[in-house]
Amino acid sequence: MWTTALISGISLGSFYTLIALGFALIYGVTRNFNLAHGELLVLAGYAAYWLWKTWTIPFLMTFPAAVIVMLVACFVLQRLFSRLGEPRELNSIVLSFGIVILLQNAMLFLFSSDYRLIRVPAFGKGLFLFDAYISNSQLILLLLSLVVIGLISLLMNRTYLGKALRATIQDKEAAALAGIHVKAMGTIAFSLGAVLIGLAGPLYGATHYLYPSTGHSVTLLAITITIFAGVGRMRGVILAGWILGLAESVAVILLGASWREMVGAVLLISFLFFKPHGILGKGEQ
Amino acid sequence: MQNGEEPNKIISIEKNSKPRVKRRRVDEGGLVLLFFVLLLLPVLVRHDDYILQVFTHALLLATLALAWNILGISGSISLGHAAFFGAGAYTSALLSLESGISPWLTIPLGGLLSSGLGLVMGLICMRLRGAYFALATLAFVEIPRVITDNWDGLTRGSLGLVGLPGLPSLHLGSWYIHIGSSVAASYYLVLIHALFLSGLVGFIFHSNLGIALQAIREEEIAAQSIGIRIERFRLFSLLVSAFFAGVSGACYAHMVRYIGPELVYGIHFSAAPMIFALCGGRLTIVGPALAALILYPVDQFIFHPLLPAGHEFLYGAVLVLVVIYLPRGFWGSIRKAP
Repeated sequence: MWTTALISGISLGSFYTLIALGFALIYGVTRNFNLAHGELLVLAGYAAYWLWKTWTIPFLMTFPAAVIVMLVACFVLQRLFSRLGEPRELNSIVLSFGIVILLQNAMLFLFSSDYRLIRVPAFGKGLFLFDAYISNSQLILLLLSLVVIGLISLLMNRTYLGKALRATIQDKEAAALAGIHVKAMGTIAFSLGAVLIGLAGPLYGATHYLYPSTGHSVTLLAITITIFAGVGRMRGVILAGWILGLAESVAVILLGASWREMVGAVLLISFLFFKPHGILGKGEQ
Repeated sequence: MQNGEEPNKIISIEKNSKPRVKRRRVDEGGLVLLFFVLLLLPVLVRHDDYILQVFTHALLLATLALAWNILGISGSISLGHAAFFGAGAYTSALLSLESGISPWLTIPLGGLLSSGLGLVMGLICMRLRGAYFALATLAFVEIPRVITDNWDGLTRGSLGLVGLPGLPSLHLGSWYIHIGSSVAASYYLVLIHALFLSGLVGFIFHSNLGIALQAIREEEIAAQSIGIRIERFRLFSLLVSAFFAGVSGACYAHMVRYIGPELVYGIHFSAAPMIFALCGGRLTIVGPALAALILYPVDQFIFHPLLPAGHEFLYGAVLVLVVIYLPRGFWGSIRKAP
């Protein structure tokens, strides 16, 4: 039982990392908390579901479509965020909370409140490894997440663009002084975030039930991981994702599935309690 | 340069000062007019139950928005007032259902329990500022919601509580007022509560507490340096705010007579007070209530029949527009001076 929990925790945790990466990137570079992150992800899932269900497009082909939808959505989002005044972080929370309500109701109108699932035949089967059962969906979730995380990791740490992004995350003014086009970095962060959401959305739709208000828990876990790990630190994000995934699977075994939603919330509040000055917390020096 | 700026300044002062006096008169007159319209509403709509029910709910949301703004004065934005609303609703509902205590007593008890929950939230989150406080409150709602959802023995879990006792009749001498069954009576009850709360918020605004809270909002370090105990004032405003949010929740439970965890702890009751307060104007006394009285009926009478599913997108759209174009809220923009 514990091996199963370990496997599901690691698999889910890697997926959580994939989800949180886009949020962390957008926050780090542009200082906008995008509370609509989860809703965008669910929207991407719905887009994939719609293509798969009504046009019988193969599951793999829904990814590019979802990415395109998310690129458009994130472009609009960035336009809106760019009009905000100070204090930017708080205003971005309020603005994106409005977008959350907009998107939830739009999805309620378009797809109704029924539970939807993209049924991919390959996801249903599984295999036994030693004494634990691993479903294909867990394996695919783990592998795909790790591949994408690896690619983003390479981009951030091995390329010139990644260096510029990291510099912007660390210090906007200094980055601008060094000749980095900070605004362009913001656009790139939003685009990368959109690609990540577009990849994660259909995967979410194939492994979790989709309904209009489910994005809220996704947003919470993205915030939790980002607050714990800080931005721009890839290893921290992966670690935080795994901790959250494992904590959730342990809570499901010990307390029952309905307590799962509280794990992220309690972790987030305790992280905030110990790091009240925020993610980049340099303290009050 | 300086010579060029002098006359400009004078002109701008004149420009601002003249209409301000006029505006004051206009908007104060507007408030008095609104008061009489609200007072006579049951007669004006010829006791149409549906319209009255919508306005009763709008007034209830107005009380929630006013309660929210007691915390909002200090500059904190809470995304989790559903925690207090739901806790108040559940406390009052369970007490009156299980032990048969009169709702007149259980409603304030619901407020007290919400205040206790506010104390827990305050002790954890009061160290946080701005965006991080908002994020913590957003996560905080999950705690009472999941506990209520899972404590089947006490709260009947996700089934919710059905058949709650309505508000009992009041008898003053030979006069009986059937608040539970008469729509107009419960309308007036909520109206009285909303007026009382507006008065209280007005009192807080002009009291030392309110001035201290506004100082904290404007410049925290300066406020601290003149001896304002920031943590204590913020915690106190949170407790008061949580109490009245809980009272609103308790009233809701006894008027709607059905509650469930997804309903009372849902995003609706976290979002609604915040949206009304920001749309009406966070720096004004009655702005939040006015926004509730306008937006909710617009939603119910116009958007709900048009779009049965997803009509609440209105609130999201209004919030987005207000944050970008009217950061002071509409009432705050009409009345420049708070």
